[in-house]
Amino acid sequence: MAILKPLLYILVYPGLIFLLVYSTFCEWFDRKLYARMQNRIGPLHTGRSGILQPVADIIKLFAKEDIVPEKADKHMFSALPVFSLAIVCTAALYLPVWHYSEAPSFNSFSGDLIVLFYLLSLPTLIFFLAGWHSTNFFSAIGGVRVLTMFFGYEIPMLLALLSPAVLADSWRILEIARFYQNRPLLMLVNIIGFFIAVIALQAKLERVPFDIPHAETEIVGGQFTEYSGKKLAFFRLLGDIEMVVGAGLIAAVFMGGFPGGLLPGLAWFILKTLFIIFLLTAMRAALSRIRIDQMINFSWRWLAPLAVLQLFIVIIIKGMEL
Amino acid sequence: MEFKVALGPQHPALHEPISLRMTLEGEIIRDADLKLGYNHRGIEKLAESRTFIQNLYLTERICGICSFSHQTCYTQGVEKLMELVPARRGLYIRTLICELERVHSHLLWLGVAGQEAGFESFFMYTWRDREVVMDILDWITGNRVHYSMNTFGGVRRDIDELQKKKILDTLGLLKTRTEYYLNIGASEPTFANRLAGVGKLSKEKAIALCAVGPTLRASGVPMDVRKDDPYAVYDEIPFEVATADSCDVLGRAVVRVKELLESYKIIEFLLKNLPEGPFKVKAPRKVKENEVYSRYEAPRGENVHYIKSNGSDKPERLKVRAPTLANYAATIAMLKNGFIADIPLIFAAIDPCICCAERLVQLDNPRSGESKVLSFSQLRAMANDRYKKINFKKKDSAWPF
Amino acid sequence: MNAETIVEKINSAIRDKIQEIALTAPRRVQLKVAREQLNAVLTYLKEQFGFTHVGTISGVDLGENFEVVYHMSNDIATVNVRILTPRSEPKIPSICAVIPGAILYERELQDMFGLVVENIPDPRPLLLADDWPAGQYPLRKDWHYERPAEIIPGGE
Repeated sequence: MAILKPLLYILVYPGLIFLLVYSTFCEWFDRKLYARMQNRIGPLHTGRSGILQPVADIIKLFAKEDIVPEKADKHMFSALPVFSLAIVCTAALYLPVWHYSEAPSFNSFSGDLIVLFYLLSLPTLIFFLAGWHSTNFFSAIGGVRVLTMFFGYEIPMLLALLSPAVLADSWRILEIARFYQNRPLLMLVNIIGFFIAVIALQAKLERVPFDIPHAETEIVGGQFTEYSGKKLAFFRLLGDIEMVVGAGLIAAVFMGGFPGGLLPGLAWFILKTLFIIFLLTAMRAALSRIRIDQMINFSWRWLAPLAVLQLFIVIIIKGMEL
Repeated sequence: MEFKVALGPQHPALHEPISLRMTLEGEIIRDADLKLGYNHRGIEKLAESRTFIQNLYLTERICGICSFSHQTCYTQGVEKLMELVPARRGLYIRTLICELERVHSHLLWLGVAGQEAGFESFFMYTWRDREVVMDILDWITGNRVHYSMNTFGGVRRDIDELQKKKILDTLGLLKTRTEYYLNIGASEPTFANRLAGVGKLSKEKAIALCAVGPTLRASGVPMDVRKDDPYAVYDEIPFEVATADSCDVLGRAVVRVKELLESYKIIEFLLKNLPEGPFKVKAPRKVKENEVYSRYEAPRGENVHYIKSNGSDKPERLKVRAPTLANYAATIAMLKNGFIADIPLIFAAIDPCICCAERLVQLDNPRSGESKVLSFSQLRAMANDRYKKINFKKKDSAWPF
Repeated sequence: MNAETIVEKINSAIRDKIQEIALTAPRRVQLKVAREQLNAVLTYLKEQFGFTHVGTISGVDLGENFEVVYHMSNDIATVNVRILTPRSEPKIPSICAVIPGAILYERELQDMFGLVVENIPDPRPLLLADDWPAGQYPLRKDWHYERPAEIIPGGE
């Protein structure tokens, strides 16, 4: 039993199988919602209301020819998609679903917030390497833009995630979630931080208005220009899973986590992540892509100061309470 | 570090083949150059071997968006050569279709601008409304793109009361939608910030480089062939020339939206004052020896046809200058010192319509700046060789695994 | 000011530089000048009446000669300034010093008619393919297109 539980945890829920199923569902949800917001119908024919369309897309990509550019570093070029997918799947294990033991375990310990955050920022580095090793101009520009943008959103996001942790006085996601479950009104204190985190997550996921690194009309496919077939399918899956994990992290830290054991926890998880994905989709439909310099300006002029302000508010409230 | 990048002839931002060669320094463009001819079809040469009536349908196929502009420009030139006075009702219907085409073209442009800026929702909305205009055009001419409405002496189809009423009804809808887009363009901060201050073209430079259409009008020069050199029935219609002083892409967008609103007024005027009578008169077959310089304000700017006849039923020379060619010189000036992110926007802002035939493929090695020219047959031989080298697994594979 | 006054003024001011002038249609002035006088006439038109916009430059193959027509427009009228150049010596002066926007039209003329534009700032071919054979000018009347036989490499 002691072995079975972690194994189930890694393979079934919230590990691989659940992630694959749920992330493709989230992509469908995002696409359908995005289409309805634009007066379109969206995916329709594969499965009920096109719910299997993302799966069909990935199967199609797996069946396609896989091309590696002649001058590219073949090992690096092939390894990067697999590594990045492994990294985000690992990150998903740190979400506080299902495990309830107070004692630290392999996936819940003091400081796992930082570990999860670190794991989520690794794909960005891999995107840069993917762009750089493609030996294509558009890829290189895309890669450089990935890094430039990284310096814009990463610090506001970390500051935004810090404030609930400071208020809850813990570095363990499970304890932060439980703190807000017990005192739901305190969640309102972090409202600025919540929106900063959602905006930064949008930037991390490279979606409109922050799809600058792979802006199609400017630099073709950005860092993914040379990728095709299976490798591109991995990157697409990566994007979907990163969206779920990012949404899960924000839900756990800002919205009180997923209480109630296995099934109610699952329900809370789906409800809260879908809410965050809804916010992300609405942002994507309502805004236009911005330029890289405007993005950096925006994050240092607004996001970072607001995140610092949020931290101050939290410190003051904490001082009043204690 | 400076390096050279070739955008096109195939690129997602370019809907037709053209090659833009950029010298970049980081994200900033230091120098730009254009290479045309990827779509040159030799229409001017072809026109010399066709009769005037056959050319009516050839000129229509110069462009897929402003097909009626080229056809009308040619038709009114030949009518002058024939010394023919077209039927008044015919002229009104012709002008009506001109304006409907302008509406469809400008709505299309707004969508393209949205897409180039990365604003997909805007693209979806404007193209949905463009379908409304396309349906009207389909209904009154029978075609969505190549209307084939013009003939020497008038138009080929009449419009009836029911059609008139339907067009007037749909105009109200289009008007509210257009005002909504004007509002979005001005108030949605990410979109407005992407367009404002991009692709500056001063008034003096726009005049010197002979820019035309909305590109010129957005630099504050009120040049409009419909006012300066009225054709069809534009001298009877009250309308204003839309201009902007901001000299950037935002200005060009504003000019186009204002023109849309003017076009709705013109369409309303035309339908309410549509004269009774025949819609075409009989035209002679032969044309006297003469020449004519015909100007037309297409949605993209001044369209020019120079027709020289030699007394036979075929033209001696037909020279066509589409508005996009006139705007290329200005585009190069606009691209310099801009950002890579702005290339598609600046280029789209002149509403390029690259009507120019595939004879070769040019491969560029952007690292060294070397160019290698391959003819079509060489390229095909290369592709065949490469295809033979690939080792296919001989076993039959079933989809998808 | 209208087209008639433009004709009168040109007639009184630069009578010696022009060969023919006529008002053929409403707002259309036909002007014939010698090759050498082209830039002087265009400068006069630009400074006096604001003819800054060149609509296009049309070339016509007349057999013995090439006719080149510069279509100059302002907000009142269009002046078609025409020059003749003999087939044996097809040279025309560049007008880019007066009107910078004419560069693309002049490059097109070079491609299509084989006219030599003197002092052109950028003489590269514009429209024709890079492997286009030299001495072939498609819009000359004696040029005819023959479709080469299509050979499929390795095919039957």
